[in-house]
Amino acid sequence: MKKFVSSIAILLLVCLVLTAFAACKTEEIDTLVIYNWADYIFDVEAMKTEFETYYEQMTRKKIEITYVTFDTNETMLTRLTKGDSNVDVVCPSEYAIQKLIELDMLVPLHYFDEESYLNAFSSSVDSGSYVHNADNVEQGIRDKVGETFGNIEITADGANKGKQVSMLDYFVPYMYGTLGILYNKFEFERLGIYDGETLNKANWGILFNDNGEGGILSEDLTGNILMKDSIRDSYAATVFYLLESGKLEGMTNSEGKPYDEMPASELINAVEDNLLEVVKQTLTEQKSQLFGYEVDFGKDDLLMGNAIVDLAWSGDAMYAIEESWDDEREDYELAYYLPHSNGNIWFDGWVVPKTYDPDHLDAIKLFINYLNRPDVAAKNLLEIGYSAAIKPQVLLNDENAMRILAEGYEYDPDDPDEMAEFTDYFFHYEDEIDLSNWRYPFESAELNSDNYRNIDSLGVMRDFGDKNKAVVTAWNYSRSAGVNALPLLGWTALAVAAIVGAAYLIIAVKRFYRQRVVVRDNSEDGDTDKT
Amino acid sequence: MKKKFKFRFSRRAFAYPYMIFLLLFVVVPLVIILINAFLDDAGKLTFDNFVEFFTDSGGGLTVLGNSLIIGLVTTLICLVIGYPCAYFLAKYHASNRVLVLLFILPMWVNFLIRTLSTKAIFMALDVDLGMGTVLFGMVYNYLPYMILPLHTTLVSIDHSYIEAAEDLGADKMTVFFKTIVPLSLSGIISGITMTFIPAISTFAISEILSSSKIFLFGDAINMHFSKTTNSFGVGSVMSLVMLVLVILSNLAVNLTSKDEEVKSAL
Repeated sequence: MKKFVSSIAILLLVCLVLTAFAACKTEEIDTLVIYNWADYIFDVEAMKTEFETYYEQMTRKKIEITYVTFDTNETMLTRLTKGDSNVDVVCPSEYAIQKLIELDMLVPLHYFDEESYLNAFSSSVDSGSYVHNADNVEQGIRDKVGETFGNIEITADGANKGKQVSMLDYFVPYMYGTLGILYNKFEFERLGIYDGETLNKANWGILFNDNGEGGILSEDLTGNILMKDSIRDSYAATVFYLLESGKLEGMTNSEGKPYDEMPASELINAVEDNLLEVVKQTLTEQKSQLFGYEVDFGKDDLLMGNAIVDLAWSGDAMYAIEESWDDEREDYELAYYLPHSNGNIWFDGWVVPKTYDPDHLDAIKLFINYLNRPDVAAKNLLEIGYSAAIKPQVLLNDENAMRILAEGYEYDPDDPDEMAEFTDYFFHYEDEIDLSNWRYPFESAELNSDNYRNIDSLGVMRDFGDKNKAVVTAWNYSRSAGVNALPLLGWTALAVAAIVGAAYLIIAVKRFYRQRVVVRDNSEDGDTDKT
Repeated sequence: MKKKFKFRFSRRAFAYPYMIFLLLFVVVPLVIILINAFLDDAGKLTFDNFVEFFTDSGGGLTVLGNSLIIGLVTTLICLVIGYPCAYFLAKYHASNRVLVLLFILPMWVNFLIRTLSTKAIFMALDVDLGMGTVLFGMVYNYLPYMILPLHTTLVSIDHSYIEAAEDLGADKMTVFFKTIVPLSLSGIISGITMTFIPAISTFAISEILSSSKIFLFGDAINMHFSKTTNSFGVGSVMSLVMLVLVILSNLAVNLTSKDEEVKSAL
């Protein structure tokens, strides 16, 4: 035993000395600062090691990664715009990227133009063994981004002011997801509304307890609906509901274009005063149907039976559903519904702020390319739950990636039957109610011709821009409406009056009683005084 | 053989670190709030934020009114429950230390955890979340802040005053209202401020115990700062209004109280 311990100790010592030597030898260690959402990449330590290997292969240099996280786009924006950060690569959402481009704070990457992307590499990168992964990125996403953010005008003062640029030059898609409705399937069955026909008629109306024909969907839904405590998501859901329920009929924007003729991607960004007013009223009226607004307790409220319906993003929904397996009924308790009329889709992607360190350029570019490797995308898919912006076909063709995914879902990658089952479950799943593939709305639109969902029906939301304040005011109004504390004041005044009155009565009765005693005392012995 | 130490710098020097701290983390943020209140999204000088708040276009004044009422009612209930509690605790203080501990015990648990468990209990009992549950949560959370100052003043009342009153022929009721209550006035006032001010600015209790349906002033400020972009302006105005309210209630304390101790609290 002793011998074993001492040999281990010697081995450790040798290792230590060797690594120290190795560190001394290379001297030059590159660095890379990554600024990402919290929990938005597979195991950070494993990623670091893997990327270090990849980087060394490409450049024969060592690299050290600093990984910093943020919680909301707003925090990230504040930190970047205040200019006190020195991060190299950031992963914001599309509307935050739009904002950063407008402020002229990003460096164009041209990832989808292989030559110009490669040209920026320094001579140390071995371009012979470099594989450009841009083609792995889903074309649908690139089209969608190009269509929505095709020409952003730089508004910040400076040399580029007024220049029109395309977001695709700056941004490399990473993850995406849809906005939809998470609901308790068992409860829907109990209420008798768990069938495609009913729900597809109601669509976004599910959140407003509207069956799509002017009536309510189910009496028991009242007080059991959760809304997101987020302006953007609530706004999107409400606008779509208004459109499909015909409440926008006859309304036009300032240019005279009717709202109900706009495609989803245009309507969702048409923030004008008259539309905002209707949204405000609708959200106010919706309050009577709500259980409340949630930030991150939605899943628990649904599973505990406090609420039945929740506005949710696809990734959160996927995660919640996988947690909701019911052993007794051998089924998932929760399900996701992607409304058929119109929907909202969002993207997060990698961009490089102008404050980056030019010495890190190789590392930045290799890192972005590394993330688009199918095996890395597979690991991220498993960890994050949203859809990776990688074509599903690329994952299906990559044995390594499939192995990682299958193992993550506890299928045996060596058994062809199980693999077929897994592939079916993961890539070709189609919900019987909303007839859609929750994970791959793009592929679903391509593969299933009978599916009447169309990728055009999914709109990408831009920044509210100069309408931001008006939207916040409207949201504040809807949130505050319907609460009236005056009755409370009245009841309290009444209660105070009652208590004080009762106390006075008791004291008066006591005084009266005592006086009688005093009087009787007087009559008995006549010489005592009357105090 | 006493050795006398003489300080080389004045003792005031020990206060400097805290002074710097105050300057950096209290005064500077307040100035930033003040500046933000007069700026619009683009950073230009404007009075729109004030106009928006005081014309109630975003429902800000309504929210403030609701918050004030709920704060007032909470304080009143706390006083009604807290005073007898503090009174009996003070009366039997010597023999019942455990009892005092029982009242302070909830404060040892983080208030968010307490509020979340209150919600769980309400849900288990099938109580609808709303105004009632929020009020319950407020009273439950702020009751110790009412009892503690009351208890401290009541314990410190010199018992000979009470004996003197009794000797002069006052009955129990008169002793209580004419001697004990006036002597504990400073405790009542500091109890009220310690309950009322947090009660009008809280946002977590209403958020958890009504699933964000009851939207209070604290929720509104929180929303403007952390859940939206570029709406610091109106949020800052709201914070300033809140600050004015705090100053006003402290002034009220000063006016109503003759007690030097309470006065110095401002």
